[in-house]
Amino acid sequence: MKHPRDHRTYARSLVSRAVARGWLALIVLTFAFAFAQGPVVDDLGREVVLEAVPQRIVAMVPTHTETVCALGACDRLVGVDTFSNVPARVSRLPDLGSAFDADLEALIALEPDLVLTDEYSGLAEALAPLGIPVYAGTPQTVAEVWRTTEALATLLGLESEAALLVGRTQGRVEALAASVAGLPTPRVFVELDATPYSVGPGSYLGELLTLAGADNIVPAGLGDFPQVDPELVVAEDPEVVILLDAPFGESAETVAARPGWGAIAALRGGAVIELDQAGVDLLTRAGPRLADALELLIGLLEGERR
Amino acid sequence: MQRTVARAAPAPSPRWSVRTASITGLVTVLAAALAVGSVAVPPGEVIGAVARGLQGRLDGAADVIVWQVRAPRVLLAAVTGAALALAGTAYQAVFRNPLADPYLLGAASGAGFGAALALVHGATWAWLGALGVGGAAFAVAVATVVTVVLLARRGGRLPIVSLILAGVVLGSSLSAATSFVMLADRERTAGVLAWLLGSFAFAGWRDVAMLTACLVLAVPAAMAARRAFDLLLLGETSARQLGLPVERFKWTVVLGATLLTAAAVSVAGVIGFVGLIVPHAVRLAVGPEHRELVPLSVLWGAAFMVAADLVARTALSPAELPVGIVTALVGGPFFLALLRGGREAW
Repeated sequence: MKHPRDHRTYARSLVSRAVARGWLALIVLTFAFAFAQGPVVDDLGREVVLEAVPQRIVAMVPTHTETVCALGACDRLVGVDTFSNVPARVSRLPDLGSAFDADLEALIALEPDLVLTDEYSGLAEALAPLGIPVYAGTPQTVAEVWRTTEALATLLGLESEAALLVGRTQGRVEALAASVAGLPTPRVFVELDATPYSVGPGSYLGELLTLAGADNIVPAGLGDFPQVDPELVVAEDPEVVILLDAPFGESAETVAARPGWGAIAALRGGAVIELDQAGVDLLTRAGPRLADALELLIGLLEGERR
Repeated sequence: MQRTVARAAPAPSPRWSVRTASITGLVTVLAAALAVGSVAVPPGEVIGAVARGLQGRLDGAADVIVWQVRAPRVLLAAVTGAALALAGTAYQAVFRNPLADPYLLGAASGAGFGAALALVHGATWAWLGALGVGGAAFAVAVATVVTVVLLARRGGRLPIVSLILAGVVLGSSLSAATSFVMLADRERTAGVLAWLLGSFAFAGWRDVAMLTACLVLAVPAAMAARRAFDLLLLGETSARQLGLPVERFKWTVVLGATLLTAAAVSVAGVIGFVGLIVPHAVRLAVGPEHRELVPLSVLWGAAFMVAADLVARTALSPAELPVGIVTALVGGPFFLALLRGGREAW
């Protein structure tokens, strides 16, 4: 165990190192943007071509809404999907349904000059023939968060804002990760729903768990979003269970009532964490609040590091 | 032996009044569906937008909404409803079974499996991506029904019971496979589910043209076969004694109706109920003769589907209901009312 003062000095040096890295990233990125202003290609492999800097943007995925606002362009949004709720002011914008059942007529009536959506719903394919520029893609990993932020920033003409945002967020992430380095790593089971579905280490949330100094009990071989055998959970004996399905009624009691689960460490003095919807959104939306998500996770695990 | 055939005097035929009413009904529903949407466009603007669309020069967001979003959606609903109702009529005639519908031989579960594969693995398997979701759905649907037919074949014959059993069993297996593919990749589950429920939301002119071409081939073919369908109503043995090459006819009809169903499903997803109840509704109204049954099923199927889609996109606007839910919820009670008041049809 380090002396408290040593610890403080160590933390301070970490912060200054993080800040330095943030600035370095900023400088590198600015140059990268200035010299390599290549075309933006979305996750469907299509080049997104704009005639002018977009001023009427529709975001059909919450993470894109958050990114546009984090880049300081919230006032350019003219419509959002039904799940976008951060920052709070976007709730005042027209609700266009979800990407999967978007209200196409209302969307077109807004006369957007850029639509930001996902790659799976088919919305991009429906809009492209209408001559509306579409970016289709959602980040699925930490690295993709940075890449998507930069792609959107290029489209919006906000490259330096993106460099600042990415640099600042990466600095916070590094500092947070460093703050738990060397500490004990509690065994954690994350439950997406009561089936139970969980997250593998390769998924976005799996990566956050690793950064937060948690030992995810789900092995990589099961894939990113596996349905796990309840026996695995009992056998791995997690010290922390994080319930992302708590808004749907799961709780420490319902988990304890499952056959054999009453004996797992999380229920014998460990922690069963019931997240609210805001917490679930924060952890599952890969986007600009990545460092906040990591901070939340680290906070949740704090009591269990022994 | 001599027979005298009593001919009814050519009275003002009720047949034509039913046809005229059906066409008028369809046109009215089409006009209403084109006029109403989540964005209010005045009727004059709608007509102007259609006129400008036909000339290929659109002007402004309202034109795009009416001509490139609403019009293909309404027309795709119409041709899909027509195709499914026609395929249902053909299946019911061949199977002489009131529960027969276009999905009886596994076309729907095959299409669902193909679409799920393309949606989940299209990015990693290049050939699947090249086929597209619609192409994969079409290919697997046709392959499924062909497999069912080959499995059910006994010598040169095609017994109805083994056809139905093979169809149901292979269909269940494919549904299970679809669920497996879907749940193996949670990220894409919502996309597969949305496709399976069926929707006209993202319809384009290309889909409309493709399915219209199929109908242009299928409707005259079904009209030409109307007497053979009528003969089958007497049972296969009687039809054979009356000179119908029953086995060959069954093969042809099953194949044709399957291609039509697969084409409809590949552009609109799996929309249930239409292919089942529309032919029954027509039968209750005008009787079992296919001279009436075939054209009226096409017209009523189109009108019913356009009306159902209109409800689907306006009932909870701006949110949408899956159109398959509307066809069952609205169509069911309507059909039951017909059943109570109509004549004995089978």
